[in-house]
Amino acid sequence: MVADREKLLEALAEAILACDANQAAAAAQAILDAGLDPIEVLNTTVARTANEVGDRFESGEYFLPHLVLAGNAIEAASKVLQTAVPTGQLAAKKVIVIGTVEGDMHSLGKNIVAMMLRASGFEVHDLGVDVKSGTFIQRAQEVKADLIGLSCLMTTTLPYQREVIEDLQAQGLRDRFKVIIGGGPVTEAWAEEIGADGYGRDVTEAVQVARALTGLA
Amino acid sequence: MLSLLDIAERTQTGPKVTEMDWDMGLFRKMTELTQRYAIRAPQDIDWFNTDDDLAARAFQAGVDFLSEAGVYCLSTGRVVQCTRDEVLTAIREAPDRVEMGEAGDRRVFRQHQVEGREPLNVCPGHHAPFTVDLGPLVVESFARIPRTDFLEGFNFSSVDGREIYGLPMEAYAVRRQMDYLRAGICKAGRPGLAIVLYPINTRIGALLAALDPDYGLRRTDGMLLSVLPDLKMEHDLLTAAIVGHEYGLFTLSGSFSIVGGFCGGIEGAIIEGVVKPIVAMLVYRDYINYVGVEDSRGVSLQRIAFQPASWARSLVFQALNTYTHTVSMAWVIPTSGPGTETNLIETAIRSIEAQINGGNLYAIRHSRAQMNAGQTPLEAEWMIEVADATLRAGLDRAGAGRVCRALNARLQGREPEPGHPIGECYDLLRHRPLPEYERTYRTLKDELASLGLDFG
Repeated sequence: MVADREKLLEALAEAILACDANQAAAAAQAILDAGLDPIEVLNTTVARTANEVGDRFESGEYFLPHLVLAGNAIEAASKVLQTAVPTGQLAAKKVIVIGTVEGDMHSLGKNIVAMMLRASGFEVHDLGVDVKSGTFIQRAQEVKADLIGLSCLMTTTLPYQREVIEDLQAQGLRDRFKVIIGGGPVTEAWAEEIGADGYGRDVTEAVQVARALTGLA
Repeated sequence: MLSLLDIAERTQTGPKVTEMDWDMGLFRKMTELTQRYAIRAPQDIDWFNTDDDLAARAFQAGVDFLSEAGVYCLSTGRVVQCTRDEVLTAIREAPDRVEMGEAGDRRVFRQHQVEGREPLNVCPGHHAPFTVDLGPLVVESFARIPRTDFLEGFNFSSVDGREIYGLPMEAYAVRRQMDYLRAGICKAGRPGLAIVLYPINTRIGALLAALDPDYGLRRTDGMLLSVLPDLKMEHDLLTAAIVGHEYGLFTLSGSFSIVGGFCGGIEGAIIEGVVKPIVAMLVYRDYINYVGVEDSRGVSLQRIAFQPASWARSLVFQALNTYTHTVSMAWVIPTSGPGTETNLIETAIRSIEAQINGGNLYAIRHSRAQMNAGQTPLEAEWMIEVADATLRAGLDRAGAGRVCRALNARLQGREPEPGHPIGECYDLLRHRPLPEYERTYRTLKDELASLGLDFG
């Protein structure tokens, strides 16, 4: 029985690591059919495998497309498992709205952080590049975000990170969202100066900070 | 060759796709092409590629990508498509040299070959942040380097005591960047030296603010208009290309690829590295490109990691310098900051590679350059010295690979060093490094000489 259980959990992990959403959904269904606790599976196997995906990206074994596909597989498996969780017992997913600020077309760092967060179990709403402050705030309200992530790669677009925080303050929304910033010219001192809640020097740190700010770490 | 207006039309008429569909489609196409052309990194990587057939296949894969997949326009969400014939015609008709500068400072910046026997062309610096109080002095110092063929601008976050925030200030700051460049080259006694706008911001108002024969970009100067990662273009840069080329500018692009992006692993990055300069030439008329392959571990995760990116870089240079007219540049971009031995070792490896690969030397700077701490003229002169010493020593790929491996061994176990602000390691007034940094430089130079480089 224990061996069967382990096999089922292993099949789910393998499907996620193989970036196969259909297989991951099927493995999750098999887990439910076997009567395993879906909450425990989400908190252990799925969470552990998500970390493994991140580790494989950092080691150079996985690339950005793998983060997208593994994220799809995690979502597919989670969707199946969540159907068996009684209402009220399911821990809400942490939600982040992320993008590159106004005037800045650079996407690479933002993409990597977005994919890593998604693979780590966040619900990620990527608004793309050259995103105006109002768009960040409107979307964050629409999706009831926990976090807003602001990326930039140019010194002249740094002020647009501050603008989002100032606009949140002006609209009385500053306490509703944690704000995390990152990008080439961004420093811890800048994060402090503009009153950001967190700063990620690199992708690993960004994910750690996002988890800490949302009570996941 | 397709005109820029042809490209403009196609950005409005090509098939519409979402950005994520483009990104994932790019990954699938790269994966398919690596199989179609059997592009694989060898098990036992030598420092440089020596497989001529592999370089030919990488080029063919690049042409196939462009004629089968196209380029993504971020501004319209459409794919710009080209036929194979249009791609090959553009490659054939592109020039292999670009004239720049005027009077006594006129230069011809040209394509070089793998294991070529000529000194490289040089853009020694900038493409880094400096405060405006230091800017003109820094420009003067870099312009004083005799081998400088052109100088790129620098970026800053405030001007005239005001923060650069919003398009009006960005356009004004671009005008001041031009002032600093023109003043700096004049003080260095090189008034005709070509300068290149470093886009403080890529919005069209900021780009076009630089055009001014009297106080800004002359018709013999240039502008950096780069194709974005994952083979994406956009309208502001295309507009600047159309207006800039009518004005008479030359343009250049940052056209390297990144391992671990949507192109996938090293094999996909090789194909993107070949495609991107061809795209830049097609959509912005960028005939000068800094090219190659970078490792996302170095770029995003800040780790010192040369291989297999160095091998892939050499393959991309080989494909471009053999089968296209791309005037290639090698961006020398250490993960450590100025004032450190680690920076100088990383710079030396990159400079040896540049000479062997036929990549003109471009804007040495810390990969995560912070304000006033991205570069000093010492690293620029070191980069030139090492490339010349490689040439003088008559090293081929095998010999240069041995030196690179020996230097790389010195870096094992090291983490990137943040480095120092320019004032802490370099005397701009006397145009020389401060004593401690100079000692580090001289010791390393002796070490490289003992490894076989000929410093003359």
